[in-house]
Amino acid sequence: MLAIGLDIGSITTKIAVMDGNDLLDTNVSFTGYNAESAWRKILKDTLDRLQLKESVVDRIIATGYGRNGVGIADKTVTEIKCHAVGARFYMSNVRSVIDIGGQDSKFIRIDADGNVADFVMNDKCAAGTGRFLEVMARALEVELADFGKLSLNARKSSAISSMCTVFAESEVISLISKGEQRENIIAGIHESIVNRLVSMISRSKIEEPVVLTGGVAQNIGIQTALAKKLQIKIRVPDTAQVNGAIGAAILAGNI
Amino acid sequence: MKTFAYFDSGHEFPEEIVMAAGFSPMKILGDVHQGTAAADEYLFPFFCPFARGCLSDALANSEKWDGIGVAHGCDATDHHYDMWRAHVMGVPIFWVNTPMKIDQTAQIFYRKELTRFIDNLIKQYSVKIGENELKDAIRLSNQVKSLMQQLASLRAKKDISNQDYFEMTHKAVQMPKELLVEELKTTLADWEGRGPFPAGKTPILLTGSDVTFVEYMELLDTAGLRVVRDDLSLGERYFATTIPDTADPVQALVTYSFDMPRSATRVPSDSRLEYILGALKDTKIDAVLSQNMKFCEPYAMDAVWTVPALKGRGYHVMHFERDYTPSDNQMLTRLEAFKETIQQKGGRQNV
Ligand code: SF4
Repeated sequence: MLAIGLDIGSITTKIAVMDGNDLLDTNVSFTGYNAESAWRKILKDTLDRLQLKESVVDRIIATGYGRNGVGIADKTVTEIKCHAVGARFYMSNVRSVIDIGGQDSKFIRIDADGNVADFVMNDKCAAGTGRFLEVMARALEVELADFGKLSLNARKSSAISSMCTVFAESEVISLISKGEQRENIIAGIHESIVNRLVSMISRSKIEEPVVLTGGVAQNIGIQTALAKKLQIKIRVPDTAQVNGAIGAAILAGNI
Repeated sequence: MKTFAYFDSGHEFPEEIVMAAGFSPMKILGDVHQGTAAADEYLFPFFCPFARGCLSDALANSEKWDGIGVAHGCDATDHHYDMWRAHVMGVPIFWVNTPMKIDQTAQIFYRKELTRFIDNLIKQYSVKIGENELKDAIRLSNQVKSLMQQLASLRAKKDISNQDYFEMTHKAVQMPKELLVEELKTTLADWEGRGPFPAGKTPILLTGSDVTFVEYMELLDTAGLRVVRDDLSLGERYFATTIPDTADPVQALVTYSFDMPRSATRVPSDSRLEYILGALKDTKIDAVLSQNMKFCEPYAMDAVWTVPALKGRGYHVMHFERDYTPSDNQMLTRLEAFKETIQQKGGRQNV
């Protein structure tokens, strides 16, 4: 059974291709203005790379905010469920998933039977999401990819107290003008995201093992700040960014 | 017929009194499509947007109304009474102070308050509001409530969309009652002939802030959630109980006000929970969608108590905050995920 999961996020489009229980390939591209051309291109590029024709694909499940625009999908499933399934593929006994995407963040609690027991989500506000980091990286003139590593060199973390991205950006600018070290500011930014996440998580109940997914999960500064604040071990799969697409592909294989 | 508009938050306004005075009562619901710009001249954006929508409605339309009543519900209604007196021009505005509690003292107080309201209407409009007028109004009101009960009970059996139900609850509080009765009878015949409850939909009970625009109900239907029970003012709270047919019509209105399903603006909340539990049991449904509109404090705070109380009894419950906007498609993911969790727990779709 050749199954595909397509995760159409607000910033990136992700694909996972599975043959039975084997993950054959994954891919990420920017969604851009035209989500349809984004998923069509990533689908074609990935199948070309695998030297497969679209006709041999048995099932496709679409997820993510643009899921309803994937006309060729056999089914759409929410990213909540797909992230839970994807995290279980990485760690079968996972009980909590924290997903930090480009424009939203979510916490998913999974019960002992593997069901989604509860979830909380922030999708109305950029604070606590990848977008927040992007805005801050621009203000600090740092490549987003370097954010995590730089924060590890911080001697202290600057206090960023505003909950709002726009006001937090002004705070960062005034810290820069005061001569605060860039590394310290980045560490403060990570802490502020983590504080936001932890108050969202506290509306549910965190249980271990905890898996961190989404594009922001690879940021070592976020991983460290989150583990410190929650006082728990955080596991991050190599496939964190495509975790939702993997979950969708697994569900596609099970239809 | 002359229109008497009213602003309340939990079905507190005694419609039957203005009906007895010869008016057609009309609940002010604002218009989410018009926004709240007019009211925002006086109020900050962190106040309840529904109430701001109602003030905008009153500022734009008060000249078409012959009177306005504001009844004590949440804090928004109380403060709006003063604001409306200062800014909504050309129409008399009345205040009805509905008590928060349901004890004996509250009943005596409320009876006096209703009598005061009747006297004020008589003085202002030179109308007669006697026992007969009140009894006729109560009879007509009960006819509406009983027809609404019959319609609402079909939601769990027939294919009645959330939008169809919303439309009738909307008309119930805005249309002249005589016309409404005819419309309800026609709708009942239509709904009785509908197909069975659709297989792909998940039946839920909806609680929380009043839903005052159809788009939110449409969104629930799009997510596959069918509202078959609720305890909203624009819903079951309005018609779940009828007004007792007793010799003293004012006392009957007092009893009615105290017996209806309680809103979150009233204390204590136990009887509010009892109504929800009874509805879930009667209809054999196990999923509750609790929501509060952003800046609606009564329901945001109520959820802190109600949601765990329902979860603790084994029901599938989700609480969401929503915006006062007709296009809230970001909510769709949460609503669909809620439906998925209900199905999973039913053992059908384990992840
Ligand atoms: S929505 Fe909430 S805050 Fe606004 S009027 Fe209704 S009960 Fe009051």
